[in-house]
Amino acid sequence: MSDAVFTPSQPSRIRLALRKPGFVVGILIIGFSVMLALFPGIFAPYDPNAIDYLAVRQPPSWTHPFGTDLLGRDSLSRVIWAYQVNMQMAVLATVFALVIGVVVGALVGYYRGIADLIFGRVVDAVITFPFLVLVIAVVAVLGPGLINMYIAITLVGWVYYARLMRAEVIAQMGNDYAAAGIVMGYSDRRIIFRHLLPNAITPVIVYWMTDMALAILLGSSLGYLGLGAQPPQSEWGVLIAEGRNFISTAWWLSLMPGIAIVLTGLGFSLLGDGLADLLRPRG
Amino acid sequence: MSSLTYIFKRLLMMIPTFFLVMIIIFLLVRLLPGDPAIAMAGDRASDADIQAIRERLGLTEPMLVQFWLFLSNTVQGDLGQSILMRTDVIDVIADRLPITVFLTIYSVALSLLIAGPLAFVAALNRGRWPDAVIRTVFQIGLSMPVFYIGLVLLTFLAAQLRLFPVGGYGDTFGERLYHLFLPSITVALYTSAIIMRNLRSAVIEVLDAEYVQFARAKGLPSRLVLGRHVLRNALISTVTLLGLSIGNLMSGTLVTETVFAVPGMGRLMLEAIFARDYPLIQGLTLTFAILVSFVFLMTDLFQSRLDPRMRLQ
Amino acid sequence: MKMKTVLGATVAATLALPALPALAQERGGTLNFARYDGSRLIDPIYADRNPDIWMVGSLFDTLLRGTADGNSVEPGLAESFSVSEDGKTVSMTLREGILFADGSAMSGDDVVFSLDRARNPDLSPWAGLLGSIDTVSADGTAITIALKSPDPTILSMLATFNTAIVSKAAFEAAAGETDQDKSAVIFAAKTAGVGSGPFYLCGFEQGSSMDFCANENYWRMGADGEPLPYLDGVHFEIIPDDATRILSLQAGEVDAAEFIPFSRVSELEADPNIDMQLYPSTRIIYSPINTREARADGSPNPLADARVRQALNYGTNKEALIGLVLHGAGQPMSSPLMAKATQYADDLSPLYAYDMAKAKALMSDAGVGEGTQITFTTLAGSADDATIFAALQQMWAPLGIDLVVEQVDGATRGAKNRSGEFDIHTYGWVNDVNDPSQVVGWLGHTPTAKAVGTGWESAEFNTLFDEAAGEMDADARKAKFARMQELYAEAAPLLFMYETPFAVALGSAVEGYVQTPLGNNIFDEATVSR
Repeated sequence: MSDAVFTPSQPSRIRLALRKPGFVVGILIIGFSVMLALFPGIFAPYDPNAIDYLAVRQPPSWTHPFGTDLLGRDSLSRVIWAYQVNMQMAVLATVFALVIGVVVGALVGYYRGIADLIFGRVVDAVITFPFLVLVIAVVAVLGPGLINMYIAITLVGWVYYARLMRAEVIAQMGNDYAAAGIVMGYSDRRIIFRHLLPNAITPVIVYWMTDMALAILLGSSLGYLGLGAQPPQSEWGVLIAEGRNFISTAWWLSLMPGIAIVLTGLGFSLLGDGLADLLRPRG
Repeated sequence: MSSLTYIFKRLLMMIPTFFLVMIIIFLLVRLLPGDPAIAMAGDRASDADIQAIRERLGLTEPMLVQFWLFLSNTVQGDLGQSILMRTDVIDVIADRLPITVFLTIYSVALSLLIAGPLAFVAALNRGRWPDAVIRTVFQIGLSMPVFYIGLVLLTFLAAQLRLFPVGGYGDTFGERLYHLFLPSITVALYTSAIIMRNLRSAVIEVLDAEYVQFARAKGLPSRLVLGRHVLRNALISTVTLLGLSIGNLMSGTLVTETVFAVPGMGRLMLEAIFARDYPLIQGLTLTFAILVSFVFLMTDLFQSRLDPRMRLQ
Repeated sequence: MKMKTVLGATVAATLALPALPALAQERGGTLNFARYDGSRLIDPIYADRNPDIWMVGSLFDTLLRGTADGNSVEPGLAESFSVSEDGKTVSMTLREGILFADGSAMSGDDVVFSLDRARNPDLSPWAGLLGSIDTVSADGTAITIALKSPDPTILSMLATFNTAIVSKAAFEAAAGETDQDKSAVIFAAKTAGVGSGPFYLCGFEQGSSMDFCANENYWRMGADGEPLPYLDGVHFEIIPDDATRILSLQAGEVDAAEFIPFSRVSELEADPNIDMQLYPSTRIIYSPINTREARADGSPNPLADARVRQALNYGTNKEALIGLVLHGAGQPMSSPLMAKATQYADDLSPLYAYDMAKAKALMSDAGVGEGTQITFTTLAGSADDATIFAALQQMWAPLGIDLVVEQVDGATRGAKNRSGEFDIHTYGWVNDVNDPSQVVGWLGHTPTAKAVGTGWESAEFNTLFDEAAGEMDADARKAKFARMQELYAEAAPLLFMYETPFAVALGSAVEGYVQTPLGNNIFDEATVSR
């Protein structure tokens, strides 16, 4: 048995994964999304905040491929600029939860005992709490805005990672290599971080990909309630909310950001599936 | 350990959980800017009026006194009076709870109906086009914001084609099935996508497992193999997943119930937050917590029955 | 002052109709009405939110009624009324044979009971509006209201929801210790009893639905010579989501939907199955500006300078705002203190006509430099507020103002308004009384509400307001209000924005429904043809 089960330098594995069209499409979508998020100014044809009172709710045309919004702003540019906010959301709303959750989950799963008991109560308390209510309440207390939203989501979100990690670590503990590690006198740290964690993390990583898509959805729900991105910042949820009164008359207002959300979600998911294959420990 | 002792122990462990939940919600609502007196009196009331309401509601008492009252009353089964509704919180919740529970069970049932068969089709055709199509379609469902897809369904299926009612929830069971179909299917689009994903990997995991491959190689009919291992594994993982996401499912009703004008607990919670109705927010949260804990307990019991690795402890 | 006596001329005309052959009047049926928010407690003296206030009139009648133009009153439950020469006594005669919804007869005692309740400051948040009343007494059907001092608003007040008449016997018979308890018990009973209006409450699901049933004992007559209302009842569905409310109407599940977003009005006007109504209102949309020398955090407040506030007003293109938010269905405020439809509203239009050059000049006079940050507090989730913010941010950028948004919910906004922790925030107002004093007190009179939370204070304004409260001469009173409007426009403690109508979409089966300028939902003469 190799010391670390997963080593990213295994070329055959990556080549194998890249042969899967889904994974490649996922990489392409997320790669392109990241590009749009990093350099929206290059791709957006107009200033996303330029108001034109005389050209409100124009249907898609050559000059405005996605039409214009309620204030005559170019919808395509607003959808593109929203990548900046939404991709940031996907990462920042989840990554801290991931790190905290993985560490806490691994430790608790490994040591069990009283720490596990206390942890169990905390997790139960947070999980039994209606998620959206907690997030809404925290945001309302801290004040609306993206950073406070990230704090709120992280405060709640880490327990899901921790729970997943804990269960996975406990399951892994039953395997021979963990027992072997203990018998061989490896330090706890080594066993946890070099043996258990790499083996247990696959479902967490896959969940993370889903969670990023979820974070975008949650962020847009909050944006819709006015608790997320603040205007004039463009954000897909806000854009959909703006267009929701016009689903049958000015469909492009909500459809275009809707497509952006779905595409990005699809990208994360395909990426997650690909990674799951890539990271799955070989027997 | 017998199941009964286990259940008893679990119920005992819920006490600190609920205590924690009560502390969190008690503090959280009091940290919110504005208070029920301001929300209740309206913008035009004088400062003296507001102070009078505060006194009447007991908001001028020290925090610890307020918390002790909340705690001791709750233990005695008294959740107080809703400021918004001017009736007992218990009664208000008893009115709304069945609707939300119905909506949740309905959408889970729909999700299973949709996701179950398709997950098997996808798993058995892994890597081929049916798999790709099914997964892509579900992925779209997973990424759709509920308030958007809900409105699209309402606009086209209810208002234009008149296949379903826009609002209301009906009186009889049949009427409810009909009235709540659109909100349930909206939630189910999302839930079924999660279930499908999970179920598909669970099935694949078993199919890939050496013992199954061995069984197949030995020439055991695949139906038997599927029946024995796959179904059990699929069941465990689905129940675990549903149990884990029940909290999300229920809090998701916040948005669904508002869009579809369903008078359930989710919509009530939103109203309660806006009105700073402390007793109602507290009561609703506690109800959510009890429901979710109950589901967790059931999940664990179920798991332990099916999966020897998850022994009760 | 001249003795004013008004006889029930219009009512007499209505009552004279039975002699004619009955008109083919549509009767019966239930009107299904989709509301944006539900009532919580419909009691004349406790109704404190618009969804409650606007329904009081359907369940409880007042002694007097506002005329259609909103500027005077006509007989209601009282068939005649007069004010004494010295302005200190109001005499009324109660109509004979008025029955409550439960069939019991209304007497002077009920009037005394109701008015005493309404002016009890321990009970009603509206008691202050009846502060001039000294005693109310009844002798048979003769009602006498003695005033401490002359009150020009008293007749309007007797036509306002909070002075509606409740049955003393039914009220006192209700279980409960306190007045509040009794009121809640009566409301929860959902039976005909305490009210005198065209309907009584016969169904109620908190936050979900509500039912009104016709009061068979109602006294006013319809066009066919039979008692009103024409409808058997009204069923209310509460659908907070704008889009869903409209879909419900389009699907034919309801017959009417209120509070249509203005962005949808033209689309619904084009729909042949929908009768899109824009009822004139006293609703104004404005934004209070914090005028205190320092902000809540102690930093100097650039908005304390009247020139800066004037500049913001000049720098706001109201026509453009109306186009963006109301899609044309509104008009700029023409009086700084009230809607055009309010009595004594002066037409100062154009009130701060868009003038960027003037705005810039005022800004430089005030010495407010480039990059001044101002926070605009809006209601989270409100599409209108989001649009207003985006437009103002752009409009004011040339003035060197860096406008940032802060989205909060209603309760937070209310708390901020009270504590002064804001720069500018969105707000709106609808008159509850057919008189300018209420809105003027709210917006400008410092002791009432710190001039709508702005902290603005003008001794002259406050004095004028107090004087107007006792001024019985209409012309002199009007002059005082004119001066107050002048002062207020000059000082600009508000961003003066616009007036909007009430947008209600009716199914084509509905006739005769009205929403008054005060917002009251009137179903008395509504019909629905099935």
